[in-house]
Order: sequence, then structure tokens, then C-alpha cells
Amino acid sequence: MTATRNPTDWRSDAMRRRIARRYAAERRFKLAGLLAVLLSAAFLAFLLVTMMGNGLRGFTRTEIAVKVDFPASPLLLDPNAITDQALANANLPMVTGEVVKKALGADAEEWVSPTAWTALRDAIKADPKILSRTETVRLPASTAIDLAAKGKGSSEAEAAVDRLNKAGVLSTGFNMGFLTASDGTDPTQVGIWGAFKGSLLTMLVTLALSFPVGVATAVYLEEYARKNWMTDIIEVSINNLAAVPSIIFGLLGLSIFLNVLHLPRSASLVGGMTLALMTMPVIVIAGRNAIKSVPPSIRDAALGIGASPVQVVFHHVLPLALPGILTGTIIGMARALGETAPLLMIGMRAFIATPPGGIVDPATVLPVQIFLWSDEVSKGFVEKTSAAIIVLLIFLLAMNGLAIYLRNKFERRW
Amino acid sequence: MTGPAILLLLAGLGAIAWVSARARAMRLQTAARASGRRDAVHSLPGYHGWYVALWTLVPAGIFLAVWANVAPGLVMQDVLSSPAAQSLPADDFSRSAVLGEARAIATGNQAGAFNPLSQGLVEPYKDAIGKYGIAGAALALVLAFAGGAYAFTRVRPDFRARTRVERLVMATLLIASLLAIITTLGIVASLLWESFRFFSMVSPVDFLFGVKWSPQSAALGYGNDDAFGAVPLFWGTIFIGAIIAMVVAIPLGLMSAIYLTQYASPTVRKWMKPTLEMLAGVPTVVYGYFAALTIAPALRDFAVKIGIHGASSESALAAGLVMGVMIIPFVSSMADDSIAAVPQSMRDGSLAMGATTSETIRRVLIPAALPGVVGGVLLAVSRAIGETMIVVMAAGLAANLTLNPFASVTTVTTQIVQLLTGDQEFDSAKTLAAFALGLVLFIVTLLLNIVALRVVKKYREAYE
Repeated sequence: MTATRNPTDWRSDAMRRRIARRYAAERRFKLAGLLAVLLSAAFLAFLLVTMMGNGLRGFTRTEIAVKVDFPASPLLLDPNAITDQALANANLPMVTGEVVKKALGADAEEWVSPTAWTALRDAIKADPKILSRTETVRLPASTAIDLAAKGKGSSEAEAAVDRLNKAGVLSTGFNMGFLTASDGTDPTQVGIWGAFKGSLLTMLVTLALSFPVGVATAVYLEEYARKNWMTDIIEVSINNLAAVPSIIFGLLGLSIFLNVLHLPRSASLVGGMTLALMTMPVIVIAGRNAIKSVPPSIRDAALGIGASPVQVVFHHVLPLALPGILTGTIIGMARALGETAPLLMIGMRAFIATPPGGIVDPATVLPVQIFLWSDEVSKGFVEKTSAAIIVLLIFLLAMNGLAIYLRNKFERRW
Repeated sequence: MTGPAILLLLAGLGAIAWVSARARAMRLQTAARASGRRDAVHSLPGYHGWYVALWTLVPAGIFLAVWANVAPGLVMQDVLSSPAAQSLPADDFSRSAVLGEARAIATGNQAGAFNPLSQGLVEPYKDAIGKYGIAGAALALVLAFAGGAYAFTRVRPDFRARTRVERLVMATLLIASLLAIITTLGIVASLLWESFRFFSMVSPVDFLFGVKWSPQSAALGYGNDDAFGAVPLFWGTIFIGAIIAMVVAIPLGLMSAIYLTQYASPTVRKWMKPTLEMLAGVPTVVYGYFAALTIAPALRDFAVKIGIHGASSESALAAGLVMGVMIIPFVSSMADDSIAAVPQSMRDGSLAMGATTSETIRRVLIPAALPGVVGGVLLAVSRAIGETMIVVMAAGLAANLTLNPFASVTTVTTQIVQLLTGDQEFDSAKTLAAFALGLVLFIVTLLLNIVALRVVKKYREAYE
């Protein structure tokens, strides 16, 4: 005889407590999941807000309005013969110092940026007639004043800012120089144009090398390769390359491209080649998935009406797979654009004060510029670093947005 | 003749070859069709065009590529045999300096000579460069014409131009795909070669098991013994990448994946998933800057406040925390995939027995998906230990063997960057050590990936 078991009394206190406990555990678990999501998102938000908070000031500069009495200044210029040569001979840096002293006091020369004279030059160039009258010119402030006006300066600079504020001559303007200048030693004068151009050239080299090779490899592996040991080796190599740490590619670039092939150091060419090796596996993997998703009926139909295997692929399969391949390519390029470590290995961390003219000139790229500025001691570089990060993030966001747009617009479900 | 001009000329010749061959093939086609022999035409006219154009361009192009490598040697030989070269200094260094200057002047890259000797060599240089330039261009053009003419004579209705062209296309595709193998071989060869040179100076046992890392002292001439013990580096890498980062990334990544796949409404999922994936898209240099600027000082102040001794502003914790955040999307997407791969029937069965959702997840889904999750975690670890910029910017350079997360430790990747961005003498143990570290890193990440992929694959097969 087996003992008969009483049916569970679900209404008993013990059971109610048990169910309540289980439901509480359920709620806690759900809450933990929600917290994990929110915490991750909060970290992203914190990062972006910090960068914005520091970086937006990097796009502005403090300007000091200086009343310049041109006829009384030591400037020897003929208003009717303003040429670049004449302006270069006029010793504008000295004149600028004099007019600033005259307008704001003896110690004021330190308050304007060492390149403030270019503002004076541009003003004269724009309208030579101001040479015969008194005119207010806005001169960029020096780093110390700039920092103090943004609330992060030393005490003496703060005092100077107080005086300037009382005189009502301080103002804030958009720092065009940040977008048009290159690296420098004075944080008020640096810009990202040089690094940006270097990034552009490097990306061009990367794209020109990795896209054709990546697509060709994807086509070969997906459409033509027979299953044999060589195909296996190729597949294993590509999957491994996709997982190799990026710094290893830098070591490869250093020892092969620089030490064996003797290509120029810190050039966009070498940087682009190194990044192309990194990007190629990404394009191959994305390309294979895109080609795989083209239905076999397309191939069969094309073969059936007499197309050759090469015609099938190049006339039918590739055009249909192209959106997918392009999406993968853009994502791979975005990753390459943000890459720093391999480029440090091949010497792209040099101080480059002039934008590169071609792919063999010494260059630097945006992420490396960010890294270099982050190492600077001067406080003024904090906002510049963050501002450069904002520019980089905008570009990455735009590229990823383009990839998503392409995918949504051209993706076909068969 | 200059390089671009020759290339332009060749491109023009190729275009002419394409057009004329295509036109000829078209005439032949019309003639063949007019006489009613339709099947006598094999290839479309375009393929004949390509065939002839390729014959025009490819041999000449290959020749030019070879010539570009051979010509400088020939030029140098010519210059050295000129009378002006007899007065060159004997030692190699000043000799090549003079020759280099003369070449720069001859090619117009430099205006005047610093060294009077090089001025005398400018003329021979110019002559030799001109001579071989013209010779190369002429030979290339002859090859282009010969190739084009040979191919042009083969344009007939029954000639299988398409097959030939497609054979070349296939060969190109094959060569492109071999590039992946070549890259892998290049990595392995360069790492092995430089590491081999390193291990001829420092014993591998000292390197792998030594506990003192001070390459600077080796560079200063205190000898290589006892300076290249990499254990503190390995520990630092594991501490930051495999312990601290994973303590952050595994719970957050796993719980995010569970919440987004099992609990969240489609709208929340649609917005939160890309948001979390943005964490993986932020460049590592940005994370590094963020860790160094914001997280590390805050952590140091916190450690000082609670009275921890030896808190550094370059703490392992700051680098590990930020790295963990970077890895979250990685772990979460791997977990997402493996939970989705668990058959729906198992989930339904558990729920039908009266288990709550969380009980189903904890007792059924996660145990079933565990191999996949473990594989994902291994991949994440391999990602984390190979990560460079965060640790370069936020972790320190001091090679400490410590368990204190607030202290400074250094990692393999940090030291690679540190060793290779200073001076670049390629025979010192200091620079070569970077390649030995790279080799270790390469092998470890490779093994982790192989194991992870095998685990994931085995597990996928279990449910198919």
C-alpha cells in the first residue's frame, strides 16, 4: 500500500508565505536586471555629459576688446598699399603689444595670446581704412586669461579677469582656430585640422586596400572555394585575425612595414596599411554574411539562362549583397577611425604642427592627437582634449548612423 | 620620364586596346551573324576588349613594378662608376650621407648642397636617373605594344576570350583571399623572429617566471639579468582584464541581456539595446581619457578617505572598471545569443510546471545556456587583456605584484607601448622585449579564442 498524499493546501499560511517569498524573489530579480541596464546606460550618459561639459568650452575662446588708435600707434603702413609683404614687414607682434599696453595697462601685454597680432592683421586686411581712425579690435586672450575666464585659472589671472570684466572688454567667441589649426604648444592656439586631415588620408588608404581585398576574399570563400585544406586555413586565419588584439597589428606594421620594407615612419600610408589588415577581416565576415543571404534561386536563374559563374556573381549576387557589404565596411572603418594603439607603434605619435600634404608625409590622427593632448601638463589642454573627443564621437556616430540607415533602407528579406 | 606620366600613358594604351578590340569583335560578330553562324561567336565583344586591354596592361605593369625595385641599384652602380665618385669618403656612413644628398638635389627635393662632394655627384646622378628612367619607360611601352598586338591577333569569333578573362578574375580572387594567410604568417614570423632575438639575450625561463621587471635598468647597462621578469606584467594584465573588468562586465552584461530578452517590452528593447551597444562603439582612447581624468582621481580620493594605504591615482581599479564597462555589450550580446539558442520547449516546460520567470531563467535557461555564456566570457577576457589604450592612459607603469586594487599595476600592452615609443634601437633587449610580450599576448588570445569557439560550437550542436 502506498501512503496517500494529501493535496497541497495552497491557502495555508506556509504556502502563502512561500509563494510571497517566490514572488519577491521574482521582483528582486527583475529589478536587478533593470538596474544592470540602467547602470550601463547611466555610465554612457555620465561619460558623454562629462565630455560635453569639458569639451564645449574647447570650441570657444575668450576675447579682449582693445581700442586701437591706429594713427597714434607705432604702425608704419600705407592704407593704399596693404599687401601681405607690407603686413609681414610691419612688425605687427610688437605693435600689438604696444597697443594693448596703451589700452589696458602696462602688464596687459601678457593677457593677449602670442598670436593676437594675426587678429590685428586680419582686421587691417579686411578694411585698410581703419588705419586712419580708432577702432575696437577683439584680440584672443592668452591661455591663463582664457582659463581664468572659464573659471579654472590661477589667482593672479583671476584678478586680471576681474579687472577686465570691470572694464567690460571680455567676451566669448567661437574658436574657429580649433577647426583650422594644427597641433601646437599653447592650448589656446591648437586645432584639430592637421589630425583630422591625417585621419582622412589614413582612412582613404585603409578603404582603398581593405575594401577590394575584403570583398574579393568574401566572394571567393562564399562562392567559388572548394572545401579543402587551403580554404580551411584561409577561414581559420580570417577568424583569428578578427580576434587578434589591435596592438599586435601595430607590432606587425613596425617590424614588417618599417623595419623590413623601410616605408616612411609616421606616414598615413603605413598607418592605413596597418589598419587595413585589421579592417579586412571585418569586411570579409560582413561580406560573407551578406552574400550568404542572397537566395540561391537568383544564382540558379542566372546560371539557367547561360551566365558563367563569374557573371552570376558580378552581375547578380554582388549588387544584391552590396548594401550588407557596405554596412559592414562602414562599421569596420568606424572602428579603424577610433583606433589608436597600432598607430602608436608605427610612430604616428610625433608632434606634427603642419597638416600632412600627402600619404607619405608625417601625420597624426584624431585619436592619437587626443592621446597626445591628454598627456599634456597644461590645464588648457583638458578642454581641447574633450573637444577633440566630441568631434571624433560625432564622426563615429555619423558613420554608424549611415550604416544603420543603409541597412534599413536597402536590406531585403527574401 | 616620370612615373605618373608612364602610368597615364599605359592607362591610355589600355583604353585604346579595349575600344579597338571590342570594335573588332563587334564587326566579327555582325559578320558571323550575317552569315547565319550564330553559334560561331563565343564571347561578347566586351570580353575581347578586356582580354586585349589586360594583355596590354598586365605585363607592362609587372615589368614597371620590378623595374621600380631594380632601377635604384642600377643608378647607384652607374653613379659609383663615374669619375666624381672616386673622391667619396671610405666609411659607409658619410658615404651614404653624401650619396643621399646628391640624390635629393638631383630629384629636386633639396635646393643646395651642404657637402661640396655631393655637388659633384649631382650631374652623374641626374644622368643615370634620366637614362634608366627612359630605358624603363621604353621597355614598358614595348611590352605593352607587344602584349596588346599578340592579344589583338587572337580576336576571332570562336576565341574564348571570356574564359581567359574569367580565369584572371578567379586568380585575383584567390590571391586576395591568400592575403589573410600572408598577414597571419607575417604576424607570427615577425613576432617569432624578434622574440627569438630577445631570447638569445634573456633566457625564456627568466622572462616567463621572473618577478622583477625593470627594462630601464637593463637599458642603462646594468645587464639583462633580473630585469625582464614578466610575472608582474602578467599579473597586472590578469588583475585588470580578467578579474576587475569581468567582475563589472559579467553581472552587468548578463543581467542586461536577461532583462532585455526576457522582461523588457519591445519598445524598451528597441531603444536600450542600441544604447548599450554604443558602449562598444566608443573609441578606447576616449575610455582611457575618461578613466584617467574622472574615475581615477575620484577612486583615489575615495580610497584615501576610507584609509587605504598606497592608493595611487593610476589604480588598477579605475582601468579595470572602465574596461569592464567597455566589455558589457560584448558579454551581453554573447549571452543574448546563447539564451536565444535554448529551445523554447524547455522554457515552456518550466513555466508550465509553475515556476516563476526568474526561477525558469536561473534554473533552466542559464544552466542550459552556460557553455555559450562561458564561451562568450572567454572571448571577452581575450578582448580585455589585449586592450591597450585604457591601460596605457589609466593604469600605471610600476610593475607591482599586489592584490590591492587601489595600487598601481602595469600590463603587457602598457609595457609594449612604453618599450616601443621611446628610442628605437633594434638590437637592445629593451625594444625586443616588446615583441616577446606581443608573442605571449598573441598566443594567449589565440588559445582563449580557440577554446571559446570550440565551447560555443559544441554547445550549439547539443541543441540541433
